[in-house]
Amino acid sequence: MSGLLINVDNSFRERLWKNLIIAIPYFWLLLFFLAPFLIVLKISLADPIIAQPPFTPLFQDSVDGSISIYTTFDNYLFLFQDSLYLVTYLSSVKLAFISTVLALLIGYPIAYGIARSPQPTRNILLLLVVIPFWISFLLRVYAWMGILKTKGLLNGLLLWTGIIDQPLELLYTDTAVYIGMIYSYLPFMILPLYANLEKLDIRLLEAASDLGAKRWEVFKDVTLPLSIPGIIAGCCLMFIPAIGEYVIPTLLGGADTLMIGRVLFDEFFLNRDWPVASAVAIVLVLLLVLPIVYFQKRQNQELLSES
Amino acid sequence: MSEKEQAFIQIRKISKHFGDVIAVNKVDLDIKKGELFSILGASGSGKTTLLRMMAGLEMPTEGKIFIDGIDMTNVPPYKRPVNIMFQNYALFPHMTVFDNIAYGLKKEGQTKDLIEEKVKRMLSLVKLEGYDGRKPNQLSGGQSQRVALARSLIKEPKVLLLDEPLAALDKKLRQSTQFELMDIQDELGVTFVIVTHDQEEAMTLSDRIAVMEEGEFVQIGTPNSIYEHPNSKFVADFIGNINMFDAKVLGTNVQELTLDCKALGGEIKIQNPDQTIHSSEFSVALRPEKVIIEKQQPSDEDHYYVKGVVEDFGYFGNLSIFRVRTTSGDIIQVSKQNRMRIEDSITWEDEVYLSWVRESLILLDN
Repeated sequence: MSGLLINVDNSFRERLWKNLIIAIPYFWLLLFFLAPFLIVLKISLADPIIAQPPFTPLFQDSVDGSISIYTTFDNYLFLFQDSLYLVTYLSSVKLAFISTVLALLIGYPIAYGIARSPQPTRNILLLLVVIPFWISFLLRVYAWMGILKTKGLLNGLLLWTGIIDQPLELLYTDTAVYIGMIYSYLPFMILPLYANLEKLDIRLLEAASDLGAKRWEVFKDVTLPLSIPGIIAGCCLMFIPAIGEYVIPTLLGGADTLMIGRVLFDEFFLNRDWPVASAVAIVLVLLLVLPIVYFQKRQNQELLSES
Repeated sequence: MSEKEQAFIQIRKISKHFGDVIAVNKVDLDIKKGELFSILGASGSGKTTLLRMMAGLEMPTEGKIFIDGIDMTNVPPYKRPVNIMFQNYALFPHMTVFDNIAYGLKKEGQTKDLIEEKVKRMLSLVKLEGYDGRKPNQLSGGQSQRVALARSLIKEPKVLLLDEPLAALDKKLRQSTQFELMDIQDELGVTFVIVTHDQEEAMTLSDRIAVMEEGEFVQIGTPNSIYEHPNSKFVADFIGNINMFDAKVLGTNVQELTLDCKALGGEIKIQNPDQTIHSSEFSVALRPEKVIIEKQQPSDEDHYYVKGVVEDFGYFGNLSIFRVRTTSGDIIQVSKQNRMRIEDSITWEDEVYLSWVRESLILLDN
């Protein structure tokens, strides 16, 4: 009887531990994601005023002493009335999308090469992919300014070799933004692709080859379809931060490089219009939730079909 | 050698080095058309490397491979009239059973109707009708094995290479699949080359076996000849169970060799030995099932016998295995068929006589 009691006690304690451990990430997300999100959501539903803080409170004291809730959708309506915002969102999506596709085209062969190289070389190559992270992101973007400017390293090299005779206009253009984005986010593309390609069973490739597939057919029929989860993961990891990127378009882009991160910054710090800035942020989050949900769904399908 | 008798697969002085490691060392092999040939060896013996060289998945360091008279040494795998069934099958996980089996034909550019017809026929050959829409992860081990077999047979290869075809199946399934493999081979007339570490599998499946060790063939022959006439201590020990004892040569004449073997009761004579005499030290080997165990002293003059005490005893239902310590202090293992349901059973600590006919003794050079 006492043995049974101890058992019950143990299983209870086990459950408690399990729940506690599961609770930690939930608590983390609640504290650092959901709570700030709700605060921003609240601000986006307020009116801007000249005060400290610069927006109307959610709960307002009426004259008769009761408390009323004040919300407005003006800020969201404003986003859709002024075409600047829509154009900027679309331009951000376009910039992030093209960068992601280009990074995929560059990252896939790199990831494939690393995954196929012998073990000791592989570790060195992976280290080389990660090494840029040892230097601050901001510094690396500044370094690109030095490379891309009119009298910068790249133009100097091209002029010296005689490939061009007029310096190229690179810095403060969309091209510079693409270069900066691809450079900065390429490791996020390579690493999940590598993790996927490294797992690929060589015998599947051999089987395809044995059954009559030429090298590119082996790639098209086996390697590529089996690496789709890695492609999706890499693209999400790149696309999501790229769409809201602020530093790269600000430092490398021109005045006409429209990205939502810059608009957000301007609304917040220059116009001091916190409610509109918050509305911009909320719409951005919604825009990003769509690919994440899609990614999650794909992953779940993957898990289901594997079990 | 006439055209007809020429071996279907000819392997000539083939070697494969991986860095300093010699996986396959100057191997020669002839395999006949329609033969079911096994390469038997422990892991690391080079058997899989040899198979992979036949498939074109590994390029030999030196030597040549001819299939049906054509030099295949440098032909890439996708152009060889050879298909391979991989260990653990290597089914494409993202394709259905149908697409897996049809893959080889699709790469040949066959028409849709023909592919469909052939896949159907294959599915019925491996008894998997109705499974065409499934994904590999929805199949059991036995079903996966059949899909892999169908996939590798659909192009009607001249040679089918099978890498440990039955290793991943459980014992019961392995036995039934063995016979199915033999039936399919018989029906299609394809030359099968099987690589295995399982000597039982090799014995039951094959027309001929090549025993491989450290990148070289130790013995090539029919299952019977390899079991009953092993040419070395390695082969005798690797295939089945065997008792092996040291012996000294006492004398030779034309057709008879006289040996002194303490464990087998002293002086023994072997007529027409398989081996030519090189040294004075030999091993004498005796298979456990060739030994008769009984409580009475044997009377037959043709039999040698020794006396001993049963030290260990295992009952397996169909047979019993005894370990008997002889008066010389050696251990002889004996297996005995349990023919009767009720027997005068021999058990621990019983005094027994072990006897055998002269011809059962195998002479092995040290």
